[in-house]
Amino acid sequence: MRIGPSQEEVRRQNLGALLRYVHIHGPTSRAELTSELGLNRSTIGALTADLAGAGLVTEAAPRETGRAGRPSLVVRPESSRVYAYAFSIEVDQIRAARVGLGGQVLDLRVDERPHGLAATDAVPLLAEFVKELHHSVPDDALYVGSGVSVCRMMRRDDGLPRLTFTTEQIAAPLSAALATELGVERPVVAGNAGDVAALAEHARGTAVGCDNVIYLHRDAGVDAGIIVGGRRLSGHAGQGGQVGHMVVQPNGRPCSCGSRGCWETEIGEYALLKAAGRDPSTRTAGMLTVVDAASRGDASAQAAVRQVGDWLGFGVANLVNVFNPEMVIFGGTLRELYLAAAAQVRSRLNSMALPAARERVRLRTPQLGEDAALIGAAELAFEQLLADPLST
Amino acid sequence: MSVTPLLEARGIDKRFGPVQVLKDVDLTVTPGEVTALVGDNGAGKSTLVKCISGIYPIDAGEFLFDGQPVTIHGPRDAAGLGIEVVYQDLALCDNLDIVQNMFLGRERRSGLVLDEPTMEQMAAETLAGLSVRTVKSLRQHVSSLSGGQRQTVAIAKAVLWNSKVVILDEPTAALGVAQTAQVLELVRRLADRGLAVVLISHNMNDVFAVSDRIAALYLGQMVAQVKTTDVTHAQVVELITAGRSGDLGLAAEKIDNGVEYADTLTTPGAEQ
Repeated sequence: MRIGPSQEEVRRQNLGALLRYVHIHGPTSRAELTSELGLNRSTIGALTADLAGAGLVTEAAPRETGRAGRPSLVVRPESSRVYAYAFSIEVDQIRAARVGLGGQVLDLRVDERPHGLAATDAVPLLAEFVKELHHSVPDDALYVGSGVSVCRMMRRDDGLPRLTFTTEQIAAPLSAALATELGVERPVVAGNAGDVAALAEHARGTAVGCDNVIYLHRDAGVDAGIIVGGRRLSGHAGQGGQVGHMVVQPNGRPCSCGSRGCWETEIGEYALLKAAGRDPSTRTAGMLTVVDAASRGDASAQAAVRQVGDWLGFGVANLVNVFNPEMVIFGGTLRELYLAAAAQVRSRLNSMALPAARERVRLRTPQLGEDAALIGAAELAFEQLLADPLST
Repeated sequence: MSVTPLLEARGIDKRFGPVQVLKDVDLTVTPGEVTALVGDNGAGKSTLVKCISGIYPIDAGEFLFDGQPVTIHGPRDAAGLGIEVVYQDLALCDNLDIVQNMFLGRERRSGLVLDEPTMEQMAAETLAGLSVRTVKSLRQHVSSLSGGQRQTVAIAKAVLWNSKVVILDEPTAALGVAQTAQVLELVRRLADRGLAVVLISHNMNDVFAVSDRIAALYLGQMVAQVKTTDVTHAQVVELITAGRSGDLGLAAEKIDNGVEYADTLTTPGAEQ
């Protein structure tokens, strides 16, 4: 029987904690690390020396402190040297980025996603991006792994969305493609778009410090990244968070998943465009036009925004009752809808959610914007390095 | 959130000659929260703000700042307490750049000359601290900025001077959808950073999107100050237009039109 963690495990844990701290908070002085991590000064010194030896951080004297006494050395993450590849397969575009430790996007490639292209078929395109990105990588740089954010919807040839389940299936082929491209075998972690964005906002966006968060993400469909007690709620097969398919109208409109009256059929971009009497295939651009028209006083657009906003509040109220989150974030194209229909969303929430649950919930829009998918995907990739910094 | 109010107005009265504009108005403003001040045209919103910021003297009532009674005799007193007002017309100078505008009248000096590098750095830090990414260069003239960017600069200017209370008078009026979204997010971020924010708006969506509390003025009287989590859109509209909604607002006999209101719960989408 073991009595406690071995010295080696404690060290690994401390190394991970220190590296994670500078990864999330940026350059930090040794003195601050000592107080933040609750470790001894000499322990911090030894840990920093180990991480610096592995080329993960650098130490330097601060430029000017304006204070008396010997300045404490500042520990910086090696953002330009230690990197991960982050990919995002969205409903209308695919993106690949090289992201440095500390969450900086160092280099970026974007392309449109052709209609009818399955997520798994995007792998060769991503491998091509990596080939381009890899040209500008310095020789001494350290590649730690890759993360990919996958949207579960794809466009059919006619531009309308269809549900596919490929989040997990993409990791293996992408991993193989990257191994041949880069010549090294490193883990590739896949996550749903909503989950990945939730992770990014939780780590360095608007939900920092909140451990119970629901990130609602809408592109062609609606899904959610749910963080409970600081951990992502992914479900048994990684298929959790499909809040867009909660049935809210048993006799409602048919949904792309085969069911009827899913929440998505009431708050999706298709529903909004249909309610406003616009062409449903105009997608995101059309959706923004409706919101814009509503703000300028177009009556049919206003009615559509109110109706969809009302349904948005209906679902959010149910989620708030179930999960009791501190924060609900409206991401993707829900950001614009929420800001344009906040009165409806709030009113519905206030009349349906339990007082104890709704009192504390903060409704917010994301802070990281479009970058959330890439930053979150990079977080997935850095996860293993942060768990055991000296293994790579 | 039971935080002590930062600014409290008690029993404020204001008359312009025979017209009583504010009648016994109470308002509490809490740090870390956005308090939306709503009311119909002529309800006294702007007058109240001008009383708080020291432009108009009050006829009766008192102000408490951080629990201490204070007297506000002029804009200088208000600024000294850390109360900044961002007006609709922004009061930025078109012919100056962003840094010059943010430091206008309070320029930093090193010796005889202006300390441009420090000012530029402070301006950049303030904008970065508010996650403002839309401004390309700090040396851009304000005349070249969009409405939303101007609003951003005006708000950042208020933040730069370590204000404790920021009052925004219709910051999203006359802005496009994308710019409105940016400004609303900025307003929310100010409060999340611990400032007390007062938002005057006619737009119910803006009010519900960012506010924690709603204070409704009706014909010069504060009819209700409620938590945003406790009211519906319809109730707030009733407070604004009739001064009463259910148990909220003025007592029934005070209203002369005598209309009764009933709360009804409809299915989503049924209202329109």
